[in-house]
Amino acid sequence: MRARDAGLAGCHTCGLVLHLPASGHTHCPRCGADMHFRKVNSVSTTWAFLLAAMIAYLPANLYPVMTVTSFGKAQSDTIMSGVMYLFLHGDWPLALIVFVASVLVPLLKMLALVYLLVSVQRRSHMRKQQRIRLYRIVELVGRWSMVDIFVVALLAALVNVGAIATIEPGVGAIAFTVVVILTMFAATSFDPRLIWD
Amino acid sequence: MAASNQPTDLDNVPDAILDEETKGFPVVWLLPLVALLVGGWLFYKTMSEKGPEISISFETAEGIEAGKTQIKFRDVTVGNVDSVEISDDLKRVVLTATMEAGTEPYLTDASRFWVVKPRIGAGGVTGLGTLVSGAYIAFEPNTKGKRERTFVGLEKPPIVSQDKEGTRYRLRTETLGSLSVGSPVYFRQFDIGEVTDYKLADDFSYVDVGIFIQAPYDSYVREKTQFWNAGGVNVSLDASGVSVEMESLVAVLSGGVAFETLPEFADSPLAKQGTVFQLFKSRAESLERPITKVITYALKFTGTVRGLNVGAPVEYRGIRVGTVKSIMLGEDPQHEGVVSPVVIIDIEPQRTMQYRDVDESDEVTRREAEEMQVNPQQRIEFLVKKGLRARLQTGSLVTGQLFVDLDIFPDAKPANIVKSGRYPQLPTLPTSLQSMLANVNRILNKVEQSDIEGTLANLNQLMASVNSLASALERDVPGLTGELGSTLRAANSTLAAIETTASADGEIGGQLQDALRELGAAARSIRVMAEYLERHPEAMLRGKSGNP
Repeated sequence: MRARDAGLAGCHTCGLVLHLPASGHTHCPRCGADMHFRKVNSVSTTWAFLLAAMIAYLPANLYPVMTVTSFGKAQSDTIMSGVMYLFLHGDWPLALIVFVASVLVPLLKMLALVYLLVSVQRRSHMRKQQRIRLYRIVELVGRWSMVDIFVVALLAALVNVGAIATIEPGVGAIAFTVVVILTMFAATSFDPRLIWD
Repeated sequence: MAASNQPTDLDNVPDAILDEETKGFPVVWLLPLVALLVGGWLFYKTMSEKGPEISISFETAEGIEAGKTQIKFRDVTVGNVDSVEISDDLKRVVLTATMEAGTEPYLTDASRFWVVKPRIGAGGVTGLGTLVSGAYIAFEPNTKGKRERTFVGLEKPPIVSQDKEGTRYRLRTETLGSLSVGSPVYFRQFDIGEVTDYKLADDFSYVDVGIFIQAPYDSYVREKTQFWNAGGVNVSLDASGVSVEMESLVAVLSGGVAFETLPEFADSPLAKQGTVFQLFKSRAESLERPITKVITYALKFTGTVRGLNVGAPVEYRGIRVGTVKSIMLGEDPQHEGVVSPVVIIDIEPQRTMQYRDVDESDEVTRREAEEMQVNPQQRIEFLVKKGLRARLQTGSLVTGQLFVDLDIFPDAKPANIVKSGRYPQLPTLPTSLQSMLANVNRILNKVEQSDIEGTLANLNQLMASVNSLASALERDVPGLTGELGSTLRAANSTLAAIETTASADGEIGGQLQDALRELGAAARSIRVMAEYLERHPEAMLRGKSGNP
């Protein structure tokens, strides 16, 4: 039996267990927060965020993330070109790390969310434990993709030695930030309770 | 899970408060819309800002990197190399590059591309900046011409950029000399142009050199201007001595061309673009008038002609009137059946026209000049009758070179021009060295013939009188020596007396010693005072205080 069937729900903000009517918009008497059985429009909101993130993923990979200007010679690198450069110069562990963190993780996150959404919409009852575990991983790992952006931001701010070396962030870095933030929102707006509905 | 084990307070659960219904459009769907719009706009911006794509071919891709090498004009980036590929016939390298938007009108078949990398050329070292920043491709736009997208790159930077004003001419020369592309062109030792190219003429008989002279200096180039090769160092060793000539260090290293317009031709018309000039080997050669008329004579010398070169000058009293044409062997005039050198000379009457200091008001010189022009042979015959002879003289003691000297010798043995043989022969005189030897011989002969015995007898007499003088002296000298001796003794005693007075034991000596002691003491006390003053300079004003 679900709490919903008994007409009970817990307030998201203060945790108070309340009795909710079957329909209608209600709010918590103790803290005033809006009350819902499930997150409002969870599926459509998650889809919106996910689609936006997918669209933003294209410029994130096609446009340069960082431009290094040294002695008048400017060098722009996209994520993949940076990976290839590291790989070809023998630094393949670093190349692997960058590839996993900047390419694989966001892609897998988006794919995982798509899978969760589709499975929830088709009301599938299979592998519920694995799905919830997947959701947890997506939520936890998501924020760590921001490390990439922090690296670019730090480099751009610190490496400003005029003609000897100057680093500027590119459009790709901004797009990548947007992707990470949007997938984080997408993960937050997905209500995992839907797996068991 | 059994709920019956727990106390159920399900009925005491508080109720949630109802709100009014508000259903709005889910704003969140704006996000993907915005993402789509931004992405689309970015894409559109990139596509519209993309300039024309061109391909440039070079012989080698040295220094060029796909995706990195830039195309610059006046040091501003106007394009980027995208890819580097080898052409199908494996002979050239084809670069594909994207230029900035808006460069379409400047990409014509007259525009030029070349790689800028460090180069050492006739004009110096260029492109050193690319050692640090990497090679780039320089672009020279030209709006005149057909629009083009495929270019052939230049292997070397063009000598003259097309925006420089000036005129081009061509020079003809027998040999290239030390000229190379970029060699400077001088006018009054100002570097005002350069050699742009050179090639062998179609019939291989001369070298065709192209030069470019900057405006406004091209207004000095007239139709009668003379050009000569000013490159390298001109060292000439000839009968007139050693001469070293060079235009500038650059010209020494990389060759050069100089030109000049003689004042009498300063008003001749301006030379048009593409005029062909003759390139002379040196300035001197350019000033020479072309010799078209020569009269050849043969000179037979009995002595050696070592030191005489073909091309040596023939001079009349220091003025050049001809050239030695060749040196052969012919019959010796004095010894039958024996050969000796024959010098063939060319008398060039036109040379006398070069000496513009000829006094035209002087009747004699004017007549001379006229007759030499009209009938030189007759004139020379007349001069020979007056004593004109040819000799070999040393032109320069440094080089030992000889030249042919013509001069009038009124006392010479009469002789005529011998008309037999291939060339008429001028009468000759032996060289100075030979005449000097002849003189020495004469002196020796004279000595031989002179009255030596008589001279010897006179000498004997002289010796006898000297002897008697010596013996006379011998008699008188002792008396003199005795007197000298007494004088010396007196001097000795005087000196001894002085000695005793001046010594330490004497009166004067003791006084001197006392005086010296006093002086020493005075110096010491002055020194002490000076040291005190150094420590207490105020003592000058205040006097000595108790302090040491």
